[in-house]
Amino acid sequence: MRRGARMRAVASLLATAALGGLAHAEDPGLAALEARKILLHGPWPQPVLPDRSNRASGDPDAVALGRSLFFDPRLSGDGTLSCATCHRPERAFTDARARARGRETLDRNTPTVLNLGLAHWFGWDGAADSLWLQSLKPIVHPAELAADAAHVARLVRDDPALACRYRRAFDSARLAGADPEPVLVDAGKAIAAFLETLESGRTPFDDFRDALARGDHAAAARYPAAARRGLAIFVGRGRCSFCHFGPAFTNGEFADVGIPYFAAPGRVDTGRHGGIRQLLADRRNLLGPYNDDASGASAGKTRHVVLQHRNFGEFKVPGLREVARTAPYMHDGRLATLRDVVRHYSELDASRLHADGERVLRPLRLSAQESDDLVAFLESLSAHVPTAAAPAPGAPDGDCPPAGSAR
Amino acid sequence: MTGARSLARLLAAPALALPLAAAADPCGAELGAGATRAESARYVVAFAPTPAPVRVGRPFAIEAIVCPKGAAPAATGLRVDAHMPDHRHGMNYRATVAPAGGGRYRAEGLMLHMPGRWELVFDVETGMQVERAVRDVTPE
Repeated sequence: MRRGARMRAVASLLATAALGGLAHAEDPGLAALEARKILLHGPWPQPVLPDRSNRASGDPDAVALGRSLFFDPRLSGDGTLSCATCHRPERAFTDARARARGRETLDRNTPTVLNLGLAHWFGWDGAADSLWLQSLKPIVHPAELAADAAHVARLVRDDPALACRYRRAFDSARLAGADPEPVLVDAGKAIAAFLETLESGRTPFDDFRDALARGDHAAAARYPAAARRGLAIFVGRGRCSFCHFGPAFTNGEFADVGIPYFAAPGRVDTGRHGGIRQLLADRRNLLGPYNDDASGASAGKTRHVVLQHRNFGEFKVPGLREVARTAPYMHDGRLATLRDVVRHYSELDASRLHADGERVLRPLRLSAQESDDLVAFLESLSAHVPTAAAPAPGAPDGDCPPAGSAR
Repeated sequence: MTGARSLARLLAAPALALPLAAAADPCGAELGAGATRAESARYVVAFAPTPAPVRVGRPFAIEAIVCPKGAAPAATGLRVDAHMPDHRHGMNYRATVAPAGGGRYRAEGLMLHMPGRWELVFDVETGMQVERAVRDVTPE
């Protein structure tokens, strides 16, 4: 385990131990059941464990390489687009567009890349079972960065700074090999190692939640009343926390929430159904030769995931941390504001849901005040602090040339 | 949940669940104090999840031992599934079950993706017949 992750793991364990008496976290304004549900949304931050499928996970050289690649437009086929073109740090790694725009406009919204170290499926449809597979797919997708493995291998081999970092993090013999695909996969693993380091900050909600845990009523009282009422709806009759569960506010799985399936007239986005099919057909999934986990344990979810009719039209349950900074919303970006999202669930059209769908969802019929409260709570899940920025040009990195020195 | 849809193939088997410690039957004693059990008319299924306790959104496995009651024939197989009756959905995963001999099985690939009450479903196979034992579980 990386040193930082290990320290955070210990801190989290201590925090968890301190919360051993969850039932004792009393607050005059909260029912015991409500308080218990609220405490499950923390503590924050959570420890990010190394990804056993990625030998570069937690490796500082790989993180540096991944960071350079993430911000480098030379990664794209025509040299104009980088990962950061859509995943903009100043917007919580989203792009403010309804639908992402690479070489072409895509069918789906750009999701944030914060907190992905806690996820187990990746992409709106979960077509990637590892962060490194998800990291390399947009590079070679013709509508996104539109590069290919040979292009990526050439870029890494010919740039002294990238090649230096690659040799320190991976098997340098691959750079000279005839097959460029292993280098593409390693590039994905380096980017994944970088993305694992991106976590959102502590929020007003976290301060409230921790105050609740230690029974500090004075500190808890500093949480705005509207957010507190919205939180009660969220964990109560809103039933939001069934899917937006746990410290990251997602159970990491998929749901049909009544958004129309049509990406365009006559074209359907099948969501998770297509994602599972794509995943199982991808030789770079965790059942394939690029998984670095000799135990095979990391491939368990891929081995056991089952394609079901109800997967049609399901999309990833997004985490809600920093949600106030990631508009617009839903998998296709059709809802412009948090207020629109709350209205969607308040006026949910149950007829859009599958006949055998989950009964979790039902129209909430919120009053105007309740809608305001729920929005206030959602806004309290954002830290509004800057996250990672592009690597500084010319920054020294041990014995490697400065990043970007060959551009 | 595919297992739930094949109810018509099952023998009528009232699902009972008793704490292991309260029973005189030694079935599952080797699974340790953390073992739980579910019963059908003719079988006891003692089981223990690993890791325990079961947590929302975390994969887990189950070690299970199937014990026939009285003169019931030995089980020839076991299937393990889970569903959430209040929400009418099952898991997003299909567990695989491997026999380990002596009525012992290991099920892998389970994951309960929502908080609340789930039912763990054990279908005990005996030749052409299937008998079901069910036990409630609430992930933490």
